Amino acid sequence: MATDRTMTTTWHGSLLEGAGTIAAAESGAFGALDVTWASRAEEPNGKTSPEELIAAAHSACFSMALSHGLAQAGTPADRLDTSATVTFVPGEGITKVQLTVRGTVPGIDAETFAAAAEEAKVGCPVSKALASVPEITLDASLV
Amino acid sequence: MPRIVREANATWQGNTARGSGMLSAASSTAFADLAFTLASRISIPEEKTSPEELLAAAHGGCFTMSLATELSKAGTPPTSLETRITVTMDEVEGKGHQIVHSQIEVRGEVPDCDEAAFAQAAEAADAGCPFSALIRGIATVGVSASLV
Repeated sequence: MATDRTMTTTWHGSLLEGAGTIAAAESGAFGALDVTWASRAEEPNGKTSPEELIAAAHSACFSMALSHGLAQAGTPADRLDTSATVTFVPGEGITKVQLTVRGTVPGIDAETFAAAAEEAKVGCPVSKALASVPEITLDASLV
Repeated sequence: MPRIVREANATWQGNTARGSGMLSAASSTAFADLAFTLASRISIPEEKTSPEELLAAAHGGCFTMSLATELSKAGTPPTSLETRITVTMDEVEGKGHQIVHSQIEVRGEVPDCDEAAFAQAAEAADAGCPFSALIRGIATVGVSASLV
């Protein structure tokens, strides 16, 4: 079954002098978020950016895929902490995503956990959508 | 050009079907502790976000900034742009769940710009938007543009 998710962004003015708002999520999960070019390309100053939202999407998707893989293997996770870092070079595009995961998983060794994490990195829907990023790295270890 | 780095963190507790996650914007702190679950991802959102909703937000921000650039380059900077993005995830036979489509619907208020020039700028914005470029590797991207 297909799942649709919709978001609306409003922008006023040119890229450099203008400013935008990502409207409150239709899911109701979060309120309106301001975006500007300066906060995207320089210091965030409390504002999100497309790259931060991609990092959020990827860290969430990877965590769910890894929890699924671990459960399938008979070693469900107690807790997974994932961070995703997205690197953007204007004019070139998104050049790198770094995934770091720390897991609390009873009854598993480091090697098996690393293999499950690698599988999640390749298989989660956001990873597949970002497959053309030149470099996606993974650092996985148990707590 | 400078490298721009943005980080976000997710925490997941429990199994996939009944567990739940929390998501925070580490770089900007613009959002924190957003809940997500499998049920809210593939069924009714119930006030929880999902990776696909965040990708729709990312695509909207990225495309809209790209279109503001194209219009300014053409000498017709926009008064306002409103972009609605719908990201579709589906189960693809033999490949599991995949993002299959992102639909862009943009309405612009742009002085001295006609429909044809606006549509052309929207096509160029899609071609130049880093997020559109990425997901075109696996999904289709549709653009529908009109002036208010």
